[in-house]
Amino acid sequence: MWLILRKDLTVEVRSGEVAYTTLFFAVSCVLIFAFALVRDGRAPEDGAAGLLWIAIAFAGTLALGRTFERERQSETLRALLMAPTARPAVYLGKLLGIVALLAGVEVILVPLVALLFNANALLEHPAWLAAILIAGTVGFAAVGTLFAAMLIRARSRDVLLPVLLYPVIVPVMIAAVRGTAVLLQPEVDTQVAWFWLALLATFDVVFVTLALWTFEPVMTD
Amino acid sequence: MLSIFLWMNNVLTAIRRRAALLLVALLCWGVLPAVAAQQPPQEQPKKFDEYVPASQLPPAEQIPAARLVVGAYSFVIVVVFLYMVSVARRLNTVQHEVARLEADVKRTGRS
Amino acid sequence: MPKWFQPAAIVCALMFAATPIVIANAPFESTMGLVFKIFFYHMPSAWMFLLGGILCGIASLRYLINGAARHDRTAFAAAELTVLFGLLTLVTGPLWARKAWGTWWVWDVRVTASLVSWMIAVAYLILRRYGGPGSEKLAAGLALFGMANVPFIYVSVNYWRTIHPATSVVPTLPVSMGGPLWFCVASFLMLFILLFTMRVRLEEQRARLDAVYLSLDE
Repeated sequence: MWLILRKDLTVEVRSGEVAYTTLFFAVSCVLIFAFALVRDGRAPEDGAAGLLWIAIAFAGTLALGRTFERERQSETLRALLMAPTARPAVYLGKLLGIVALLAGVEVILVPLVALLFNANALLEHPAWLAAILIAGTVGFAAVGTLFAAMLIRARSRDVLLPVLLYPVIVPVMIAAVRGTAVLLQPEVDTQVAWFWLALLATFDVVFVTLALWTFEPVMTD
Repeated sequence: MLSIFLWMNNVLTAIRRRAALLLVALLCWGVLPAVAAQQPPQEQPKKFDEYVPASQLPPAEQIPAARLVVGAYSFVIVVVFLYMVSVARRLNTVQHEVARLEADVKRTGRS
Repeated sequence: MPKWFQPAAIVCALMFAATPIVIANAPFESTMGLVFKIFFYHMPSAWMFLLGGILCGIASLRYLINGAARHDRTAFAAAELTVLFGLLTLVTGPLWARKAWGTWWVWDVRVTASLVSWMIAVAYLILRRYGGPGSEKLAAGLALFGMANVPFIYVSVNYWRTIHPATSVVPTLPVSMGGPLWFCVASFLMLFILLFTMRVRLEEQRARLDAVYLSLDE
């Protein structure tokens, strides 16, 4: 598992293909939202939370597609699956790779959103924000990695990934957006924030477990 | 072979019969909501007169309910009917194909 | 088609023809008036929607466990019916809400959760249609995830809503409505079973067709 993670990270550090394209895509997303929503120099209230997560979801979809496309082209996933490692380890390695990549994107995305959308409050509670970002990203990636891995052999996989993924991650999106929006309030309601965080954590645990179990039968020919 | 055709014929007649029954049902539906729609207006004004004049009701209360009810019912029936026709047609096509191919297999097997 | 299919189809058609009469004779709901009659079709559709979803989820789970094609066919048929009855539910609902709540659409918990679940079922069908060979297992995985997701959707939408002011009140059902309502549920259940049988039959025939093609190739 760590080997797979290390391999993915090494490839990424060397070429940076997926990381740079994903990052640039996320930033352009935020800019487009800025042009669409900011009126007379004023950003809509509460918009920052939703926007941040939309950008993460879009960029994440792109990253998932690209990472697995690379595996497909060089047939390495087949080799990975044939290797004498347990299937769940392959899944976990991939999952951690995606989470690490998205975390890197978020590090740049969050200050940008805070800057452009007048949401400095976002940076005032770094611990809360980090917890929600990580829990939300893991939830997104847990479902996304499994679906992207399954779709590797399907036709028209580029279109199918968001079609399948977005309805399933609706709860993650609601919890993450509302949880982030709580942080934007002048006085943070810790109880509400805890609730959303707990929901995200439960989702993560349930879906990672389920994905670990499903990965085996789904990836077997 | 013959039995397959007989059976298919059965299915076809069954589908036709069902379609006829559905048509009858549709006719019933066309008449009944109309009847149902005529009954309530006699009751409603009475009820409303006791409390609020109809003109003072909020706009949501003034929407004619009959149209919505008829719309809902006809939508359900039309969609179910279309779905049934579509499944029946798909089923027929596939069964024809199976019968044709099986006949082919038999012929080539003998020669 | 099994032997019971034809008589059952006739009984079902008769029952459906009788539903308007039963509904028209049902006691008149005083606060909502005529529009309440939509409920007699709306609620049974919603139940069949739920039933289809559960069937699809269970069949997918069994397919993932033992890989028998029979379960996959069941799941596919159930998914299509889920989409069909979900559509009926989601269309008749707003027609009722227009009068009862004053708006077409309300971000109520049940309404929103149904919409999201319906979207997952549609995604399932899209995957089966355009996924190409090998999409069966994928679809089963999706169905499983969709089923596991339902409680999460419900909880998250519920809290998302209640943090905002709640506007909707789902009316409780008077007991005297029970008889006609159950009659409608029975009719819809029968329709569901008939359509399901037809649909599974179609998948079986398709499998047979594939088998014949394969034997021709040899």
